[in-house]
Amino acid sequence: MSVSATYFPTEPTAPTVKTTEFPGEKSKVAIKSLGTVFDSRTAYFVADYEKSIGNYLVDVDGNTYLDVYAQIASIPLGYNNPALIEAAKSDKMIRAIVDRPAIGNFPGKDTEEIIAEILKIAPKGQDKVWSGLSGADANELAFKATFFWYQSKKRGYANPFSEEENVSVMKGQSPGSPDLAILSFERAFHGRLFASGTTTSSKPIHKLDLPSFNWPKAEYPSYKYPLDKHEAENKEEDKRCLEIVDKLFQTWKVPIAGLLVEPIQSEGGDNHGSKEFFQGLRDITLKYGALLIVDEVQTGVGATGKLWAHEHFELSPLPDIVTFSKKFQSAGYYFHDPEIVPNQPYRQFNTWCGDPARIILAGAIGHEVLKHDLPALAQKVGTYLFTKLEALQQKYPKYLQDLRGKNRATFIAWSLDDATARNKFLADMKTVGVNIGGCAENSVRLRPTLVFEEKHADLLVEAIEKVLSKY
Amino acid sequence: MLRASVQKSLRQTYKLSTRFSSSVAAQYFPEEPISPQLVTSSIPGPKSQAYNDELGNVFDNRATYFVVDYVKSLGNYISDADGNKLLDVYCQIASIPLGYNNPALIEAAKSDDMLYALIDRPALACFPSTNYAQILQEGILAAAPPSMTKVWTALSGSDANETAYKAAFMYQHAHKRGSLDFTSEELSSVMNNEAPGASDMVILSFDRGFHGRLFGSLSTTRSKAIHKLDIPAFPWPKAPFPSLKYPLQDFIKENHDEEIGCLQEFERIIVEDYEPHKIAAIIVEPVQSEGGDNHASSFFFQGLRDITLKHDILMIVDEVQTGVAASGKFWAHEHWNLTTPPDMVTFSKKFQAAGFYFSNPELQPNQPYRQFNTWCGDPSKAIIARSIYQEITKHNLVEKTAQVGDYLYDGLKQIINKYPGKVLNLRGEKYGTFIAWDCYDAEVRNNILLECRKRGVNIGACGDVAIRLRPTLTFEAKHADILLQVLEDSFKAV
Repeated sequence: MSVSATYFPTEPTAPTVKTTEFPGEKSKVAIKSLGTVFDSRTAYFVADYEKSIGNYLVDVDGNTYLDVYAQIASIPLGYNNPALIEAAKSDKMIRAIVDRPAIGNFPGKDTEEIIAEILKIAPKGQDKVWSGLSGADANELAFKATFFWYQSKKRGYANPFSEEENVSVMKGQSPGSPDLAILSFERAFHGRLFASGTTTSSKPIHKLDLPSFNWPKAEYPSYKYPLDKHEAENKEEDKRCLEIVDKLFQTWKVPIAGLLVEPIQSEGGDNHGSKEFFQGLRDITLKYGALLIVDEVQTGVGATGKLWAHEHFELSPLPDIVTFSKKFQSAGYYFHDPEIVPNQPYRQFNTWCGDPARIILAGAIGHEVLKHDLPALAQKVGTYLFTKLEALQQKYPKYLQDLRGKNRATFIAWSLDDATARNKFLADMKTVGVNIGGCAENSVRLRPTLVFEEKHADLLVEAIEKVLSKY
Repeated sequence: MLRASVQKSLRQTYKLSTRFSSSVAAQYFPEEPISPQLVTSSIPGPKSQAYNDELGNVFDNRATYFVVDYVKSLGNYISDADGNKLLDVYCQIASIPLGYNNPALIEAAKSDDMLYALIDRPALACFPSTNYAQILQEGILAAAPPSMTKVWTALSGSDANETAYKAAFMYQHAHKRGSLDFTSEELSSVMNNEAPGASDMVILSFDRGFHGRLFGSLSTTRSKAIHKLDIPAFPWPKAPFPSLKYPLQDFIKENHDEEIGCLQEFERIIVEDYEPHKIAAIIVEPVQSEGGDNHASSFFFQGLRDITLKHDILMIVDEVQTGVAASGKFWAHEHWNLTTPPDMVTFSKKFQAAGFYFSNPELQPNQPYRQFNTWCGDPSKAIIARSIYQEITKHNLVEKTAQVGDYLYDGLKQIINKYPGKVLNLRGEKYGTFIAWDCYDAEVRNNILLECRKRGVNIGACGDVAIRLRPTLTFEAKHADILLQVLEDSFKAV
């Protein structure tokens, strides 16, 4: 029996569409009511999670969507997965919810055991973790670790702070509050708090009217597709971008302590970089004594066919820090160098230092991912789906431009002419019962769960064709 | 809003019916220890040490006090891995509202609402659940400070403050821009992290304030160097926070002058150091908690409100530590009776959920996807917050905390007066259990904390020389008696 059939014997066999408009009437009323107290202008529809199951998301109007957006790429094992229900009902979970600890001061007897579970699916070579609460939080904690590390290299790990540092820092001035930067890329997305927002470069609307640090942006490769027909150009593109990175390290007005990069720029349009490009980044960071931070918030936990997408690149040496959130439900960063732990306690610290309830859930997710080898399943289904999409692309080239994500399992995307065409396509997909998401201005991204199988892929392709056949 | 007002009137009804009822702690925790129980000669004991050593291999554990057995912890007593049971007046850095293993919260944790919230965590702003509006109305919003009608949910105190800062910046720029759309210069400069698209406005905070440890919130944090060193900061201003002399009644004039001086310097910074409309907001705690439990009078806070209104600056009150009943009001800033309410009030910690309250619809940015992220909060925490609010209401814990706080304060006053060379500056009168005092120096303070632990009380510090009390809302006179005895013995011993 398939994994999804094992988990969800009653999963629908096809989407059901009950309304002609999306959101439907009941959703509209509920969105309006929520809107009086909570900003609900971005709501697609109001979901009935109790009725949702596996790969199908049900809304209050009774529409049952095949969901390939999955809460902005954050549902790992399908709705109402029985293994997660079991974890959620466990005594350990109840305790974690009602007695939420300040883990940094008062860890529980089971804290080590809970954390050990998420280390079982740590990226290769990473054996320590610091936990946070969201992707933005995870990245900012990683920045802090990077700045601590960078300054400790200059000062000496065990050496004390100077009097001048201790005084200037309380005024928010250098040298205590040093002028240091994190380098990120154009079209990158790393979160929306102030430092993560600074490194984010996806769309103006994400950033406007907010103060930013003056940190540098390099260019991320823009490849021509299909890749196998543009090898030489794309190689040149890698080289061009790597030169820009190298130059920024030499010329930026303040020292660059770390380089932050997504294995696939997701919000920014599902932009891919080659193995050589990433090894080039690794080499440059080593050359200039900066850390390499890989943001796996969206790419992590199996969806690209590896547990962690950067494992496709076989980097040597391994990245210094890998951040996670979304599909893992918990958030934080993995690392291995003991000197990435700051030299004194209470530097990387806050009240909760993560959330055991979410770490327990992440442990259960990790357990299922390993037990069923879900990255391999995603790879198999992704290959199947990609082939079908390639065939569809032949038929409708205008609506499936730059099809990308080959050999990256179900982490697939393509582009349309412009935002109008893309938005129409996304809206039309609802009429055939598919909830699907966009990224950047004109792209469509697939972010199904890890229990999305061939039968779901068939339904998806069928639905896409149904929509495109009317164009 | 109807539901919120029903809840508020329920609050009144419960007040009358439960006012003189017996111990709430005994109802919740019939098995709660009657006093601390010590089984090892020192804490952390050998099992705590062993667990902690193991944890250290994978997680930075150097700030561990002791390793806790949360299964065996109950009510106001925290049990460690060795079986010691300590009266806990620190409570996970002021974040346990109703005692360990509270049965009402266990029920909430076992509910279907919780189950779905945990396993089907929604991207709330895109795919809200059918019950999120109701969960908010019955809990977080029913508990809203006077005149606050809306909420934006987040994940921690730092996150709550930073999302409030974002709201402030977007609001101020929208005002400056009027009805105009973004300019092409703004749209392009922002992608290079440069003005005018990136804001050149600032948030003003106060000396010794603590508002979190992410980059924006940390820029406003002014508590200790170790919280800030080696981390880039925004060049944002700070104003002085009053340093009051105690006992207050002996220094009425000096303290009033101190507050006037601080207000004058605050307004001077606004007028002289910044062009008009460059300070988007101020953020201030009702009691600066991490910074040493520094209090100021209603006069000072009304002064801040008046000056911010005069200069079109938003006022954010950070109630992350002071909120949810510990001060003897549900929200500590209710003590001030401000003529105009603050613009935003942030919360976290004891409420378990986090976020900010507001009422002005313009604090919602003019376009969607500006105040936005994947999860936009966490319904599982909002469900717990609802139960916390409902229990506080049902058992009238705001007034009970005010009463036990008065009792505790009176007891402390007598003890502290006996050891003037060791402990001083008792503060938090008529402020619930939100009480603190100073020690002669850091060494005496740390010795007192250790003496307390030896006698079975887990207690926390703040600032350079202060000890703060942050018990649960089910802390009663019987717990206060034990605490007072242990404190007196500890003062004597150092």
